[in-house]
Amino acid sequence: MAQAEYSPSEEVDFVIVGSGAAGGIVARELSMAGLSVVVLEQGPHLQLSDYTHDEWDVNQNEELVWGPRKGHPQTFRKYEHETAQVQDRAVLTYAHNVGGSSHHFSGNFWRFRPIDFMERSVIGEIPGTNFVDWPITYDELEPYYTKVDWEIGMSGLQGPWDPPRSRDYPLPPMPVKASGVLLERAAKQLGWTAYPEPHAILSQAFNGRAGCIHCGFCLGYGCEVGAKSSSATAMMPQALESGNCELRTMCTVARVETTANGRVSEVVYWDEAGVLHSQKAKATVLCANGAETPRLLFLSESSRFPDGLANGSGMVGKNLMFNGSTSTAGMFEHPVNAHKSVPTTRVIHDFYSIDQSHGFYGGGGIDERHLSNGLPMSFAMRGSRFSGASWGSEFKNQLAREFTHSCAFNGHSTSLPLSSNNVTLDPVVRDMWGRPALRTTYMNHPDDLATMQFFVDRAEELMEAVGATNITSSFASDGQTGGAHLLGTCRMGDDPESSVVDRYNRAHEVPNLFMVDGSSLVTGGRGQPTMTIMALAFRAADHMIQAARRGEI
Amino acid sequence: MSESTISRRAFLRAISDSAQHSLVVLTLPSIALAAQQAQAAQNNGRAFGTLSQDEAAELEAIAARILPSDETPGAREAGVIYFMDNVLGEERGEALPAVRKGLSDLQAVANARFGNSILGNLSDANLDTLLGEIEESSFFATVRYLTIAGMFAAPVHGGNQDEIGWRLIGFEDTHAWAPPYGHYDAEYMERGE
Repeated sequence: MAQAEYSPSEEVDFVIVGSGAAGGIVARELSMAGLSVVVLEQGPHLQLSDYTHDEWDVNQNEELVWGPRKGHPQTFRKYEHETAQVQDRAVLTYAHNVGGSSHHFSGNFWRFRPIDFMERSVIGEIPGTNFVDWPITYDELEPYYTKVDWEIGMSGLQGPWDPPRSRDYPLPPMPVKASGVLLERAAKQLGWTAYPEPHAILSQAFNGRAGCIHCGFCLGYGCEVGAKSSSATAMMPQALESGNCELRTMCTVARVETTANGRVSEVVYWDEAGVLHSQKAKATVLCANGAETPRLLFLSESSRFPDGLANGSGMVGKNLMFNGSTSTAGMFEHPVNAHKSVPTTRVIHDFYSIDQSHGFYGGGGIDERHLSNGLPMSFAMRGSRFSGASWGSEFKNQLAREFTHSCAFNGHSTSLPLSSNNVTLDPVVRDMWGRPALRTTYMNHPDDLATMQFFVDRAEELMEAVGATNITSSFASDGQTGGAHLLGTCRMGDDPESSVVDRYNRAHEVPNLFMVDGSSLVTGGRGQPTMTIMALAFRAADHMIQAARRGEI
Repeated sequence: MSESTISRRAFLRAISDSAQHSLVVLTLPSIALAAQQAQAAQNNGRAFGTLSQDEAAELEAIAARILPSDETPGAREAGVIYFMDNVLGEERGEALPAVRKGLSDLQAVANARFGNSILGNLSDANLDTLLGEIEESSFFATVRYLTIAGMFAAPVHGGNQDEIGWRLIGFEDTHAWAPPYGHYDAEYMERGE
């Protein structure tokens, strides 16, 4: 069936802003349930044949991650008393295309564990933070994690330490890489456990899609065989096939209009030519990500919502969480070739919750990676990781050995939600559409930094245990200055005074407005949030369908 | 182009293939020399679209100190200067005025210090000294950036000719792999760890 076509003046059931990890799922679920859906996506609809391995275009010229070169400057500051400055590259990074960042992610899909949803109750208050329990439990979300496994396509192997699951993985894990073998051997030496990384990448053909060919270009790139389980590959084709969904690409939303009675009535957007249109809908779902969703709410202020649409709590844009990240590199005697295949194949979760006796809150995991995600240019740009040489013969000769003979053990960890870490509208800088630029204010809580240091220490022990030389570590010890995990900026909760959406992702203050993306997350998990974003999207869509059938949208 | 040049290029390709795409093993200076001569001949006469011949020669002289031609080919053999010429006319056109200014400033320093304003005429040691002194400058950062980008960008952008940059570091433009990928996973499979 061909994709649907609706007139903007025709009131559809749902308009969805964004076709990423969450938007693609919501579009597919609603349209397959027979509801009329228009999806507005600011980027293009790339096809498999459009995907390249061109590092100059993709990484250096912002082909997917639009930044200042593409007319989308962003500003950054650490503290609210500072004036934010325009940065050379996007601060909050996300892919602008159908599939959103699920197009260019590396598909490391860790389920959150039961503790993630109730951690505040278990460990107590952390003063100065907005650390709270979720309004839902792991058990409530579990069926939707399983839905992600089977509907999106997952490869993995359940470990005894993993959270309980109602159904096994559909596909076996990816074959181990040399770097994974090194991490596994190191873990054994230290009495820890490295087990197969779960991936939203098909290890074998599944659901009419091809299995992974191990090309090595996952992170930052589209998968040219469609083995990566992006929304674009796994969800949007079915939404369009339903005959109830129209996808409008290169459409940038300007604002969401509300009526005098406080309901959302239409979504105003520019098409590629810069012509303004307005799509009427019974309900609106913002799936624009943890940066763009709060920006759109701010841009949609009105006399009824002077601080931004649905922002009576004042929580819109706040509690931004990037997840901590560390990298510990080591050299090995023989070729590792970590640039081949998926970024990582083994993960250690022995420190999912760091013992409270260390005096700080935190936890996470350690996996193994290539030093530059397998990218030659990015690898060379940063200079020799081990000798420090950045030009000349020594530099060149170091590169020749380091690219193939090294790998990193990377930490992925918790971020505490803080009011002072946030997304707001820049008062001066504007983007190509004249909209205020995204302004990010971010300085890690000391416990985030202590957690990162903890993972560096463990990773160095692992490197030593497996006989690496030239061990060097790096992390943002004076605070992270950007991120790709855009979490927490429209948090979910039961209390309208302290949260933006309810437990079903409906805005507390606007009955026909939903926010479904990384912004809903109450806590950021341990470093791999996308599976939880997708599970929440399946769950929210279920409730939207039920509400629509009851006439409650 | 002379008969002997073509045969050197064919020789270079044959050597490269037999070395399983790794130029790291090409440690014989004579082979490196053959590679350099072949590449120089290949590039000879190619027109520049953005840079003048003199500017190109000077920028190439700097690029050749950032990624020198020694036991293995460097920026010169990879044709990095053609990448620079392309992108300074397009995606990095905004950098061109600063690159030109930085170049003429450096030539003035060279003239004052060594009595020769042509960077390409300086000894490697003298040019390295000058570059070492401006290591922190935005001019050097830009030229270094363009050199590395040109060395490792897909050849379609003008540099990384014959995938020299990629082969230097052991990266292969192969779109599919099968395990084992490296030494340790091969060992793991063999031992059944």
